[in-house]
Amino acid sequence: MGLIEVDAVSKAFWIPNERRDTVREHFLGLLRPRRFDRLQALDAVSFTLRQGETLGVMGRNGSGKSTLLKIVCGVYAPDAGKVIVRGAVTPILELGVGWNPELDAVDNILLIGSVMGLSLGELRRDMEEILAFAELERFANLKLKHYSTGMSARLGYAVAFKAVRDVLVLDEIFAVGDAGFRKRCEERYWQLHAQGHTVIVVSHDPRTIAGFCDRALLLDGGRIVMEDTGVAVADRYVSLLTSGS
Amino acid sequence: MTNASAGTELGSPLPAPAVAEARRARRAASRTVVRAGLVWTLVRTDFKARYHGTFGGFVWALLKPLSMFVVLMAVFSFLFASNPTYKLDLIVGLFLWDFFAEATRTGLTSLHAKGFLLTKARCPSWILVVTSIANAAITLVVFCAIITVFLAGAGHAPSLAALGAFAAYCLALVAIVVGFSLASSVLFLRYRDLNQVWDVVVQAGFFLAPVIYPLGILPERFHVYLFLWPPTPIIEFSRAALVAGTIATRTAHFYLALDAAVCLLAGIVIFRRFAPRAAEYV
Repeated sequence: MGLIEVDAVSKAFWIPNERRDTVREHFLGLLRPRRFDRLQALDAVSFTLRQGETLGVMGRNGSGKSTLLKIVCGVYAPDAGKVIVRGAVTPILELGVGWNPELDAVDNILLIGSVMGLSLGELRRDMEEILAFAELERFANLKLKHYSTGMSARLGYAVAFKAVRDVLVLDEIFAVGDAGFRKRCEERYWQLHAQGHTVIVVSHDPRTIAGFCDRALLLDGGRIVMEDTGVAVADRYVSLLTSGS
Repeated sequence: MTNASAGTELGSPLPAPAVAEARRARRAASRTVVRAGLVWTLVRTDFKARYHGTFGGFVWALLKPLSMFVVLMAVFSFLFASNPTYKLDLIVGLFLWDFFAEATRTGLTSLHAKGFLLTKARCPSWILVVTSIANAAITLVVFCAIITVFLAGAGHAPSLAALGAFAAYCLALVAIVVGFSLASSVLFLRYRDLNQVWDVVVQAGFFLAPVIYPLGILPERFHVYLFLWPPTPIIEFSRAALVAGTIATRTAHFYLALDAAVCLLAGIVIFRRFAPRAAEYV
């Protein structure tokens, strides 16, 4: 029995030839039926992830990596198949977590930390540590709308690394911050790994997958085309890119 | 293409010795405590973002219906000079209407406004909708206190029974607003001009509900239609209890409860139908 079991998961998006986002557009278009193209983002994807494993996911743009992560995290619902998650998932999707730009860092940490399953007591206790990890102590009371992209991303990683309970999901790991911050992220990652936490990492960087992942999947066209060690999958991904096939 | 077995399940956690220490540290933070923390943080940060965290900002929110009351009373008290309780009826109607209009507007856009939480983590979306009306509810509670003082000052101090009935009417109104907000919040993600449509409905609804006029000035055959508009029975029953000191009949209460239950249930059904894919439309 795995910590995460993904069983024949499929997901498709229907792309209309004309977007209609309003009541007015739908009303005016009553006599002009739309054509929909089916985009199969995931096609019968299955894998199992055990406690303490690190799984890498590689694939070209549009191969279904982000959709797969969002389904595992419970953000998207699959069209078919089943995902069983026996634990709490802490995600950092698309290089960050969700922020309210009108609130300062402290309130945003309390908000996103609560969503990630931390109590207010834990968050208040760890507040200084989170801000210190992100090197943002001086900007704790600055609204997020005044933060740079890098500052927001650092804060997201700091909260997520603190909130991890069972599974950490990272979309493009260590892609933010300067060398010092990336080093701290790597240290924290190995610390979580040593504690037995389970991690899913999506990356385009073969060195990341080869260096951090016990096992990896290679996605192409929404299907798993290879499942092997991180090193083997990273090599295959590079050859896939260089061959252009 | 939806498969009946499709879905993401949260099963019981595996025994994990390696993360046992982390688990023990988190044990105190039960699911309920975390949820309560999330609700409190959402309400507090909404309040802070809206009123800039100041008491003055909140007072400003109270001034809107108060100033409306003063202006309307100055104009319409001449028109309804024969009605000695007009100003009391007006303040009760206005404050209830203000809650309805404000809460439904906020509820309608709540999931879109909190989209940053929906797309980046698994978040209980119904909490985002229900907490979005908290600010309007806080204002309603303050208004209830103001109304009671105002009525007492005008020599119409409400009895305990009247206050109890008024509290029940407010609860029914909250149920109606929550039902509307649940339904409209998921539909707004698909129809982005729904807020403009609702603004028009609210504007027309202000005159459809007997906020600034006594219902009695309209022919009785129209009353049944006006009572189909949810705020109408709430306003009329509240006025009867607080100002006239009479409680509506059991049949009238039954219909009001049915009205609130239907609105709430319809909202829940629509929400459950569309919410699982809400993140795809944010």
